[in-house]
Amino acid sequence: MKIRSLSLRARAVVEGFMSGLHRSPRTGFSTEFTEYREYSPGDDVRFLDWKVMARTDREFIKKFEDETNLRCMFLVDFSKSMEFGGDDAGVKKSDYARTFAASLAWFLTQQRDAVGLATFDRDVREFIPPRYRRDQLKTILGRLETQPAGNATDLSQALEKLASLVGKRGMIVLVSDFLSPLDELERCLSLFAAAGHDVRAVQVLHPREVDFNFEDTAIFEDMESGQNIILDPGMARESYQQKYNAHNAALDAIFSAQGIPGFRVTTAEPLERVLQRFLEERPARAVVRQRGSNGRSAA
Amino acid sequence: MSFLTPLYLLGALGLAIPIILHLLHDRPKNKQAFSSLMFLDKTKPPVDRKRRPTHLLLLLLRCLALLLLAFVFARPFVTVDDPADAARRDRQWVTVLLDRSASMQRGDLWQQAKAKVQTALGQLGPGDRFTLIAYDDSTASLAEVKSWLGNASEAEVNTQLERLAKPGFGGSNLGQALVFVGEAIQEAEPEADEQPLARREIIVISDLQKGSHLDAVQGYEWPTGIKVTLEQIGEDDQGNAGIEQVASRMPWATAGAAPSFRISNSANGISDELEFLAHTTAGETLSQKVHVPPGRSRIVELPGEWVGKSVERLAIRGDAAEFDNQFHFAQNRQQTVRIVYIGEDKPNDAEGSLFYLASAFQQSSTLDFQVEAISGKSTDPLPEADLFVIGDAVNDSLAQALGQAIEGGATALMVVQSSSQAANLGQWLGADGVVVRDIASSDYALLEDLKLDHKILKVFGDARFSDFTNLHFWKHRELQNLPDEGIDVLARFDSGAPAWLAARRGAGRLLMMASGWTPADSQLALSTKFIPLLYSILKPVLKRKTQSRQFVVGREVDVTRFNNGQGGGVTVMPPGDGAAAIPVDTVFTPAAPGLYTAKGSGWSETFSVNLTAAESRTEPIVMDQFKRFGLPMSSPAASPLAVEAAKKKETHRREYWQWALAAVLLFVTLETVLAAKGSRTAEPVMR
Repeated sequence: MKIRSLSLRARAVVEGFMSGLHRSPRTGFSTEFTEYREYSPGDDVRFLDWKVMARTDREFIKKFEDETNLRCMFLVDFSKSMEFGGDDAGVKKSDYARTFAASLAWFLTQQRDAVGLATFDRDVREFIPPRYRRDQLKTILGRLETQPAGNATDLSQALEKLASLVGKRGMIVLVSDFLSPLDELERCLSLFAAAGHDVRAVQVLHPREVDFNFEDTAIFEDMESGQNIILDPGMARESYQQKYNAHNAALDAIFSAQGIPGFRVTTAEPLERVLQRFLEERPARAVVRQRGSNGRSAA
Repeated sequence: MSFLTPLYLLGALGLAIPIILHLLHDRPKNKQAFSSLMFLDKTKPPVDRKRRPTHLLLLLLRCLALLLLAFVFARPFVTVDDPADAARRDRQWVTVLLDRSASMQRGDLWQQAKAKVQTALGQLGPGDRFTLIAYDDSTASLAEVKSWLGNASEAEVNTQLERLAKPGFGGSNLGQALVFVGEAIQEAEPEADEQPLARREIIVISDLQKGSHLDAVQGYEWPTGIKVTLEQIGEDDQGNAGIEQVASRMPWATAGAAPSFRISNSANGISDELEFLAHTTAGETLSQKVHVPPGRSRIVELPGEWVGKSVERLAIRGDAAEFDNQFHFAQNRQQTVRIVYIGEDKPNDAEGSLFYLASAFQQSSTLDFQVEAISGKSTDPLPEADLFVIGDAVNDSLAQALGQAIEGGATALMVVQSSSQAANLGQWLGADGVVVRDIASSDYALLEDLKLDHKILKVFGDARFSDFTNLHFWKHRELQNLPDEGIDVLARFDSGAPAWLAARRGAGRLLMMASGWTPADSQLALSTKFIPLLYSILKPVLKRKTQSRQFVVGREVDVTRFNNGQGGGVTVMPPGDGAAAIPVDTVFTPAAPGLYTAKGSGWSETFSVNLTAAESRTEPIVMDQFKRFGLPMSSPAASPLAVEAAKKKETHRREYWQWALAAVLLFVTLETVLAAKGSRTAEPVMR
């Protein structure tokens, strides 16, 4: 995370990843397919392919949207707990999550997929519907680059709202630390599943959250609630890890019940590898549905 | 252990402060932000294992420092047996110095003093050594017990004490008495079978009046192991007034001056209005009011109308203490000094010697100079004189009479003015062929080689007066063939010829001058050297004739002075009717004030004896003065004379707060060091 600009960072990640991709027999979940249709009066002249018209003297409409296989919506957790890390303690979770989302968005944009972004903490903060547009990526990266205002996480409330916002089916990439009560999570995730979305969850954790390797007694402050407790890490570690493992087990159970592939990553892992792992994961459910060529254009 | 101010012990409650601070201090200072506390439970108050021992030690030190501070403020002390008490059981040497000076006559001071002696006796134990010494101007041992035997010894001492019925009239020389005792103790050698002395103590029982002389103590190096306890009796709260004569001792004081007296009033005097009284021999009492403010003194002249009335006693009235109010007065009589000039000079001839000689001597209240001139050719018998001045040649009979007078003790001054005097000179000096030769010189001569250590020229010994270069001699003579021995050359002319000579002949003296004081001879008569020179020649006579007749109790009176230095067969009649006459050879020491009469064969002289003026200064000496003089004083608390207190078990308080304070400082220092060390080793939370 030495590169400050998120777009550069995403590009670096994707290019590194792409260079390895050529040797891979798989090409991911999206295939590029471009189609032209003869212009008929009433079509939006904006979509005329002027180059083809200049070459052939015939009017063709570029039907790019209909050709797009994937609508990918990133739901990125912008809560305060994601701010953990940084400085001496390695990469911030939020930086990692944003870079991940940006990289994936970049990659998908390269594949001409529609990409959207929603950020949330207790509530939905930003919502950019998935589109394949030239400036879409720029918009997304810009939004991602804004520092999160910060608040407590309420996954359930945010997800419930987002479920109503994300209309068309597509892929939902939920990036969060999932460090909040899981009571309502299953129900909320089921809303996405019910809507036919292909949901993937990426749990971003900091290595210290995994092993809790603090040494000296200190006042531990909850980054979200501001609550303080004095703690001897040596004494608390065991109980922490028990509870942490139980929480993750419960989370895994929810994902598995909803057929959601869950990725648990720590900020110490190289992002390229995580990206590759993410892309290699077979969809648990076929969500990519070829839409008829006369789908929208016919409408 | 007890506490002087036990309320301060409440300060120990302050111990709670470091404990609370330490509890607070255990809260970690560093804050760790963490994503979520959902997996964390509140653990028990955490303990920082690494810093725990340091913290405990710090806490302990801080608590101890506070505890000790409260302890210090509470002023703890323990009562222990007085170590002096224990020492008392050892053998001791107690010397009591009892003041018997005149000032002890006041009130019941003497009774108090005796009671104090009894108290001192009461603290003696078997085997102790005891010395009782009474002092005034002199120091006298009254009793000495080498090994105390209880009642027997006490009776012995009391017998001696009873003999001293009342104090005397002497002054008070405390310094001399202290040094006397100090030396006696130092020089006392223990006997072979004697138990060593654990303590040596001098107890001074006195009114410690300001008039006491302490000078002797000032330079005295006290032997170690001696303690001096001052037992002051009587408090001078009413003051005292005193009288003393301030007689002018200058022989050239103007004639007719009345005697003067200093009347002093002490600072705490009860009145500033005193009465000055004079009792005459006729029984008459004259009185005069004198205003002397307290703390001041005033010189009062005897009023003119009193002088002629033969006053025998003066007194003051109006102060509290009576003992020093009388002043016995013997008026000095004017003495006649006879000077005989032998020569042919006229008394009014300013060119002659007699004129200047007669003018040199002035009348005074004590001296009457009578200058008589006789011719050298006179055949009358030689009159008596204190000084013969021979200015010319004398005939044989006169020369012979003069020679005899000189041999008999007279003083003769021969001014050699002509060669005709050579025969007389040879006769008196017992030498043949003495020649007087006039020195013819156009220039003046000066004196040189002056023998300023000779008693006649000693008066010019000071460098301010020893310059004789302004004294010019126009004419002088040379005395030749003088005998080699028996003649002192006091001065020479610059030519080397003797100018002034002195020869002792028998009991008398013959002085010679090779140049006179007439204007034709020299400038001597008009110079500043002339009068001092003549008085210096007359000095033995003047000294004898100007003796005061005022004496002080306790000081020796040389009775020979009343009889031209001849003693033997003198009786002194003390004052008071019916007092037995005291035969005195040369020296008499009066023990009481009054008018005494010394009688010899054919003469009688009255002299007065009074108290020493210092006795009138009865206000007490400032105690600091004793310390300044380095007196090894024992502390007043350990005074052995508090009999009642001594009978009870004397306790001694020992306080320990200084040590506790030192401990506080030590703990605070340690605490600082440890705390500084602790803060250096503290590590950051995140690594």
